[in-house]
Amino acid sequence: MSLWWVRTLVRLVVALLLPLSVPCIIVYLIWALPGDPASIICPPELCPNTDALAARWNLDQGPWHFFASWMEAAMAGDFGRSWRLEPGAMVAERVAESIVPTLLLVAGAGLLNAIGALGALTGMLPRRLHVVFQWVGLVPSLVMALSASAAITLGWIGDGTGALGLRLMLGALVLGLSDAALYSTVNGVHGLVQSERKQRYAQIAVLRGEGVLSNVLPNMLPALAGQLRARVVHLLSGAVVVEVVLEIDGLGDLLWRGALQQDFVVVVATAFFFSLMSAGVLLAQALVELVCALLVRRAPQVEAA
Amino acid sequence: MNRKLAALISLGALLLLVVGGMLAPDYLPPADLSARYLGPADVPPLGTDGRGKPLLDYALQGAEIIALPSLLAALLVMLIATGGGLLSCAGYGRTSAVAQAVGEIIGALPRLLVVLVVALVLTGGAQATDAPPGLYPIALTWALLAAPGAMDEASAVASRLGGSRFVEALRAHGFSRRRIFLYHLVGLNLRPVLVRHGVETFMQVTFLEVALSYLATMPPQQASFTHPASHHSWAEILYMGYRWTLGEDSLHALLLGLGLIGLVVAVAVAATSAVRSR
Repeated sequence: MSLWWVRTLVRLVVALLLPLSVPCIIVYLIWALPGDPASIICPPELCPNTDALAARWNLDQGPWHFFASWMEAAMAGDFGRSWRLEPGAMVAERVAESIVPTLLLVAGAGLLNAIGALGALTGMLPRRLHVVFQWVGLVPSLVMALSASAAITLGWIGDGTGALGLRLMLGALVLGLSDAALYSTVNGVHGLVQSERKQRYAQIAVLRGEGVLSNVLPNMLPALAGQLRARVVHLLSGAVVVEVVLEIDGLGDLLWRGALQQDFVVVVATAFFFSLMSAGVLLAQALVELVCALLVRRAPQVEAA
Repeated sequence: MNRKLAALISLGALLLLVVGGMLAPDYLPPADLSARYLGPADVPPLGTDGRGKPLLDYALQGAEIIALPSLLAALLVMLIATGGGLLSCAGYGRTSAVAQAVGEIIGALPRLLVVLVVALVLTGGAQATDAPPGLYPIALTWALLAAPGAMDEASAVASRLGGSRFVEALRAHGFSRRRIFLYHLVGLNLRPVLVRHGVETFMQVTFLEVALSYLATMPPQQASFTHPASHHSWAEILYMGYRWTLGEDSLHALLLGLGLIGLVVAVAVAATSAVRSR
């Protein structure tokens, strides 16, 4: 009996649980540290009355109470106030300002990768170019981002003022190329096409004079969706370094500054949004798998002659 | 590239990193402002920084920070991937499927998010216990996040061989199970995948340390998550080098920083080339 639905179901469940479980795990990790959270956030030598502080920050009734009340407020759009990064500032406002640049950055890098994937899929991108992408991909994102930053500062690109649009464009280029992002996309899609073309139904389609791509694409879609999901998650991860170096006030930059300043409220909120985006792409992959399994005819399993 | 030559380059570069790390001084010498930004010709072998301290000491301390944690992370990924490959051939289909499902869940999150949360918790713990931060927990976290991909690929290679039928066929030829699993499967067939993922993890952890330290070096300056304040990461060499673009006389630092990054890339590329399939 085919159990194709198990993996799809796992993905759907994970996608639904991810935005809830990530903040919950972080909250419990904070409580697992030696000492009480209020003392960690503001040591007793600096804040003599930590009990009052704990009550004010909702830290006095254990991790579950903190998480439950944080989640309840978050559902209403209130992510609390920053403790240390910008004391008193509304975190929801900071997140709202940060999320658009991050989405633009990841979308730009994703577009570059989508073009690469399309080129590999249609065969327009020759395999001999892979080695170029591979060598470019060996450059770490930090080095590439620093080069872009230097190019902006020295006025080699743009007018030297470093407008946000230019930084976003260069950031997307860095994010899309470095750490083997484009190479993995192109190589992965090319490998998928090559292995699917060897299937008997694809070879019969060629003999019938039909196009290969139109035959193999429906069967490849789930694997393709899986690869692209992994790539988007990779880009979201890489956005942190690129945003900090290129001074793009995005979600990654906010997460970095929150972690550095140990502002747990900021970290929990940014982690929630990162997990929401990851859950979104996981959900998209599960839906593609579901649609393909229900609608696309499967290649019959034929024993090799 | 010739496989033996590639293996020699890879091992040589790796040895250079590990031995360099073992020779690193505990503290840098006092500042000597009369020797600011001197080149390798004036203060061999690598020149000095903006306070007259030798860049060689920075390079050695940076190697000390990254060498062993990165190696440990690489070994962990290789070990988990080997497990994935063996499971596929040992006929434990359900266990293999469960392992893959766990991998899917772990792979659903951006790695740097997890690393930053771990770093945040570690810094909180370090403050509470006065213990210095270190790269080991971050490196091991990265390895655990990278392992599912390696396991998947090792499992795919084992499945392409025929899974349990491959083992049965070799058993019919009279080979012992230990020889089949360790030599035929791991040694001959999984080796390229295992080593590639291992060296990739080695490279990624190194670059992660440099990136985290670099971002912490940027103003407003903070202590890095990855090493005690007495130690200096390669990120500081890169930061000095970057300031060359702003007019400081630190081109030698830039070249050194890029050279060190190149050394790690050389380990990865040469090792992958040395173990590629015939």
